[in-house]
Amino acid sequence: MEVEGDMDRTWRISQDEIVNSIGVEAARGRKELALDGGPYRVKYTRNGRHIAIVGQKGHTATFDWKTGTMHSELQLRETCRDITFLQDHSHYAVAQKKYVFIYDRDGVELHSLKSHIEPTRLEFLPFHWLLASVGNTGYLKYQDTSTGKLVAEHRTKLGACVTMTQNVHNAVIHLGHQNGTVTLWTPNLPHPAVRLLAHLGPVFSVSVDQSTGGRYMATAGVDGTVKLWDCRSWGEPLRSWTPRGSHAILAWSQRGCLAVASGGAINVYSRPSIYTPYPAPSPPPLYMTHPQPMKPHASLTFCPFQDVLAIGHAAGVSCILVPGAGEPNFDSSEADPFEGSKARREREVKSLLDKVPSDMITLNPEFLGGLAPPTKLTEGMDPGMIPFARRPRLDRLHVQGKADTAEDRLSDGMAVDSSADRGVVSKHDREEREKRKMRGKGKSLKRYLRKQRKNVIDPRAVALREHLAKQRAEGERTRVTVHDTSKSEQPSALNRFHYRP
Amino acid sequence: MVKISVLQHPSSSYLPERPGDPTPTHRNLDPLQHPFARARERIRALNAAKMERMFSKPFITALEGHSDAVEVLSRRPNSITDIASASWDGEVTLHNAGRRKHLAKITGAHQGKVSGLCWADENRILSCGVDRNIKMWNVSQEAPLDSSEPGPSQPKPLVVFPGKGTLHSIDHHSMDPIFATSSTLVQIWDETKSAPVMDITFSTSAESVTRVRFNPSEPSVLASIGSDRTFILYDIRTGKAERRIVMQMKNNDLSWSPTFPTNILLASEDHNLYTFDIRRLNTPTQIYKAHVSAVTSCDWSPTGTEFVSGGWDRTLRIWQEGRGTHPEVYHTKRMQRVLATAFTADARFVLSGSDDGNVRVWKADASEKLGVITARERSAIEYRNALKERWKMDFEIGKVQRSRHIPKPVYKAAQLKRTIEEAQRVKEERRRRHTRAGESKPKAERKKAVIAEQS
Repeated sequence: MEVEGDMDRTWRISQDEIVNSIGVEAARGRKELALDGGPYRVKYTRNGRHIAIVGQKGHTATFDWKTGTMHSELQLRETCRDITFLQDHSHYAVAQKKYVFIYDRDGVELHSLKSHIEPTRLEFLPFHWLLASVGNTGYLKYQDTSTGKLVAEHRTKLGACVTMTQNVHNAVIHLGHQNGTVTLWTPNLPHPAVRLLAHLGPVFSVSVDQSTGGRYMATAGVDGTVKLWDCRSWGEPLRSWTPRGSHAILAWSQRGCLAVASGGAINVYSRPSIYTPYPAPSPPPLYMTHPQPMKPHASLTFCPFQDVLAIGHAAGVSCILVPGAGEPNFDSSEADPFEGSKARREREVKSLLDKVPSDMITLNPEFLGGLAPPTKLTEGMDPGMIPFARRPRLDRLHVQGKADTAEDRLSDGMAVDSSADRGVVSKHDREEREKRKMRGKGKSLKRYLRKQRKNVIDPRAVALREHLAKQRAEGERTRVTVHDTSKSEQPSALNRFHYRP
Repeated sequence: MVKISVLQHPSSSYLPERPGDPTPTHRNLDPLQHPFARARERIRALNAAKMERMFSKPFITALEGHSDAVEVLSRRPNSITDIASASWDGEVTLHNAGRRKHLAKITGAHQGKVSGLCWADENRILSCGVDRNIKMWNVSQEAPLDSSEPGPSQPKPLVVFPGKGTLHSIDHHSMDPIFATSSTLVQIWDETKSAPVMDITFSTSAESVTRVRFNPSEPSVLASIGSDRTFILYDIRTGKAERRIVMQMKNNDLSWSPTFPTNILLASEDHNLYTFDIRRLNTPTQIYKAHVSAVTSCDWSPTGTEFVSGGWDRTLRIWQEGRGTHPEVYHTKRMQRVLATAFTADARFVLSGSDDGNVRVWKADASEKLGVITARERSAIEYRNALKERWKMDFEIGKVQRSRHIPKPVYKAAQLKRTIEEAQRVKEERRRRHTRAGESKPKAERKKAVIAEQS
């Protein structure tokens, strides 16, 4: 969406204007579903073709929103708090009053996961096949949906939690807690990888930016502020502002549009102005706005590969058009909105074969294929006792005097304070050594030992001796040259007293 | 005025136009569209490595028929499948490994064991034995069988050359109708003459010469190994021994490289194999260490990039040229000490003759799929190979790739050998620390192999 005049603003354009000015195919994204049964939660599949909605009163439906084909519709008759698709639209999980239940595409109940007690939020990690849930008990649980094993359960110790999101690029789960902290979890750590005090009240919504590989995070708190964080340095938020209304919900689109639903309106901000650090507590320039008075808002989700934003609220679900929000080019080997049943089956098998082990989830997913840690073979042993042939190569080169020490010297020069420290230590050492040397030098036992020692040829000592000799020779040479140059270059009145043979 | 464009994916451009058309695929190479690309690739590489181990079933068949140890194997020129073998009971058999049947069988070809076998051309075999005779046989399909004698019909030798002394080995010139034999003497024979035409024994050598081999591409060069730990090079144009080296231990077999004429491979009694460049005989170019007992036989692949060796430790190993460790290991429960090995001419199969009287056929690449491979399968295999190559430095994947199950006695022997070598090395190190500087310098392993070089 672009405006031409200086006085025009993109946020002035309403949904009706957008719908009227675009094609019929694209205008299909704009929908209003009026439904009973409380605030609705909405989730899309990874390819953006299918949508799952669940109302708080237990109305659940999954359908292909493009063709309008309903897959399943259930009235569960109990409190439902969240819904998510599993690997594709063939299975979905619902967080119900007591447990998490898994249904297949036709709405047949397959499993009830009794270890997930009173779940409030669900997330599915597609590359690890993990279903993560967090609930009123404050436990974060990971269930492997391919083997059925409970992979990890973490006690957050921060009370009931209603805010969860995942970073799709490293599969780290972000939780927002009642005391204002945001914690980042991986299955292999019993404690949060990052703990961040983000707000002065409960955290109400967290969202991670996909378009920059999870570099930015937005949080909204009950204290009425929205904050943007740079995940590389957690010190201060990049920007924070106070939107109208307190319980803001956030969602970040594939192309980096940030939607904030609060106070009866949906505001969309576009990049790059979101990311620029800004000290004043004011929102970034508005890109689009849409009034949505049916409060409370329960969820906000962008549709992958479409310019559609789905809003789940008290009176149903509305889909609005946000031009420029979705990724236009999909990769059919990853997520294809147009795949058929055969391709879907093929992908399911392939992704099961490529399932990444859950213990490889880390903050930095690129650690694989990196350099190996240094070997521990000679660690903790007295270096004098390790035979020459078994020492590491660098060590042997050092002994032989062939190692390239240019880098070491460079780093020495850089680290000024450390070298100063070393100077002190070496001086102290030297004094100590001299002191020891003075005492009892001529004792018979010492003399005897010294004589004994003479015959032991330590390659290190030999090399050191050679090295010293070489250094001495070099110093001599430089001294001589310096002397010569000084003689030739600086003629002085005293030159006449030099002895000339 | 405002410009608005909203994404729309018309189905027409994303679905096949007609039923039966392939579904159009779209690519987006943005790394953000491929989360966990590296982790998933690693898992794929790990699966590929595991699949390789799962499908590695190298043993194909055992060609039976001999009643005693098979000591010589010789493949028929210009044939992929045919292989002649000879055993200690004096029997020579021509196998067709593809159809797994005998093309010819000569029982009682020699009194006592047959010690050497080679092909004069595609239809004639030369064999020599401990009965001091060299015999030439016609094994072509239309060869007349001698049915004048009672009992099962037996082929008659075309020619019998009476030799002097127990013969150990025979090899035929690759172009001319001459051949070389070894006993305590190394002699050159003409096919048309009943007495040797040349005696090219090294002047001071009195011990028996166990193997002679002509160089396939420089055919007047002849190499021999003897029980006096020597390796000797001869030139039949000058008619004398040119060069001789004495090694630490005696060699059991030798093989010329088929693609690089100056390379020669020696299978040594000291558990190692050595490749030499014959222009520089003072050090081997590479030592191949993995056998835990004497290496009894070796043969190059026709590609010259790998070779096979069989050992007294009842294993068969396939080595990459220039890579001195981690060969592929083949073994079975019933295979006894391997006395003869050979690559087939298409470099896909390996044959071994062992003490138990069987000739076994193995795949040269253990996990290779035999039979028709579709283009899709081929590309999948190639992708898996590329993944394995790329991720071989990963700890887990490398471990899967390297690990081999070997029989317990071999494993224990390897362990013991490692311990012994370590102890020797430590002892050497200690001794060196207590000698005057520069008096005992460490000697490279390759320099230890050759004791003396004479010419």
